[in-house]
Amino acid sequence: MLKEYEAALVEKKLLGIGNVLLTFACEDIAKMAEPGQFVNVSCSLFLKRPFGICTVDPIGNTFSIGVKEVGAGTKDILTASVGDVFSILGPLGHGFSFDGVKKIIAVGGGTGIYPLYFALDKAKRKGIPAICVNGFRSWQDAFFLSECEELSEKTIFASDAGDLGVKGTVMDALKLLQPEDLTDATVFVVGPEIMMKKVSAWAHVHQLSCQVSLEKRMACGFGICLVCVCKIKSDADNMPFHHVRCCKEGPVFQASEVIW
Amino acid sequence: MVDLSVRVGSVDFANPVILASGACGFGRELSEYVDMSTIGGICSKGLTLLPREGNPGCRVAETASGMLNSVGLQNPGLEAFLQNELPFMTGLGTRIIVNVAGHSTNDYQKMVERLGAPGTPVDVLELNLSCPNVTEGCMTIGATADGVYNLVNAVRSLTDKPLWVKLTPNVTSISETAHAAQDAGGDAVVLINTLLGLAIDVKTRRPVLQNNTGGLSGPAIKPVALRMVQECYRLISIPIIGVGGIMNAADVIEFMLAGASAVEIGTASLLHPAACAKIIKDLTAYAEDNCLEALSSLTGELKLW
Repeated sequence: MLKEYEAALVEKKLLGIGNVLLTFACEDIAKMAEPGQFVNVSCSLFLKRPFGICTVDPIGNTFSIGVKEVGAGTKDILTASVGDVFSILGPLGHGFSFDGVKKIIAVGGGTGIYPLYFALDKAKRKGIPAICVNGFRSWQDAFFLSECEELSEKTIFASDAGDLGVKGTVMDALKLLQPEDLTDATVFVVGPEIMMKKVSAWAHVHQLSCQVSLEKRMACGFGICLVCVCKIKSDADNMPFHHVRCCKEGPVFQASEVIW
Repeated sequence: MVDLSVRVGSVDFANPVILASGACGFGRELSEYVDMSTIGGICSKGLTLLPREGNPGCRVAETASGMLNSVGLQNPGLEAFLQNELPFMTGLGTRIIVNVAGHSTNDYQKMVERLGAPGTPVDVLELNLSCPNVTEGCMTIGATADGVYNLVNAVRSLTDKPLWVKLTPNVTSISETAHAAQDAGGDAVVLINTLLGLAIDVKTRRPVLQNNTGGLSGPAIKPVALRMVQECYRLISIPIIGVGGIMNAADVIEFMLAGASAVEIGTASLLHPAACAKIIKDLTAYAEDNCLEALSSLTGELKLW
């Protein structure tokens, strides 16, 4: 049987402006989670809030999520102190598929870097080489720079402000990749929808398999309420698309299936 | 041992806790968290004759003590339900209620005929005359007493199975629509579906929901639901199934005191998948603490001032 966990916050680490890594004690989630999966975390508002899992420590029985304040729920969660207990469901959803993956180009924007970090960590342990392309607003907003460098053979950063790496977006950073970087690569993308759409189109042009992690407003997080659906291409004659649950069939989908 | 069983018309339930339509799918996901054979019953997602993809865009908005949804009856359609979902539900070892929605009277008739045929493993049909998120059928039929009467009357002779009529609170007089359900041969009324609501994003100056409006559920609507159950209990004679913002055993007791024979748990399952199991456990404790021999003795025991 799956369970709803009462998990204590054990560490709170400020990463960059507004970005905080929260570590919780929960043996089951630490042992079961796969990159791209998420947890649904209680707050003082009505609904839980979904966050991509960033790290797991199956020996220390902890896992972490990255949180950035975007509204009242995240604001509330960020006021928590170490020792506070949260009601948490997880790990939820389908994460990245590593089947047949020989090399990863991980493209992240903003908080999308959290679940990608978990994917890069798994890739390293599996001996899969990775290239990391991360976009930030500015140097001040940036985090996980050395961590991503450690886990990747090549790392390219981009910033809107131009004070970190390439000036511009991840699309500008992707132009710096060499033809050999693309050989046998699978692209993992997590970030704002417009970014994921553009990176998916880029991957398509370069004939690269691409997986995207979609984000929708959720309620239950485990598939019963049907509020978080994504438009996915359909083979049915009379139906151009299907509404598929982001929380259950996703959040990670093959980019080729997604209708943006 | 306390007797938690309840009887709604001709159907016995092991306890009064039923999973509400639209908040439990067909039981697959919740069965990973809860032993479904311990639940009183399960009511399927609202079904239509043909598959529906539901409404586009954002379908949820959080509110104070509740939420708005505008799913719009996304469901696999009758045939896929019969083929893939009903056999699964049958294996759960609990009472099966199928929520029937439609665009037209003809749709309801076809579905009731099929699902309500003798021998189908369905205990009860729940007529959805109350979903607020579609432009035809459902709440557009259930908004008036005549609409309710005509629809229930049009399907009543097509099945021997119990027909529960799930009513909308978005009416001037709930007892009038409840009466219409009773007069047309409904076996019970289910009170209430969601309240029609609106949430606005002040940044974009547009509704949060792409459907503009949605159905409000959660503890925010419990007082409204309780009042409607109480009002109808005094004015109709068929059983009432109470639903609306039930989060714990005390809420169930309130609904039973107000006149409900059984209850449905909706939004609580979204927040806590095992909410129903916890509620049943706590109902046992309540009954023991209060020396009740049968929980069902609480129904309608509210003494008004």
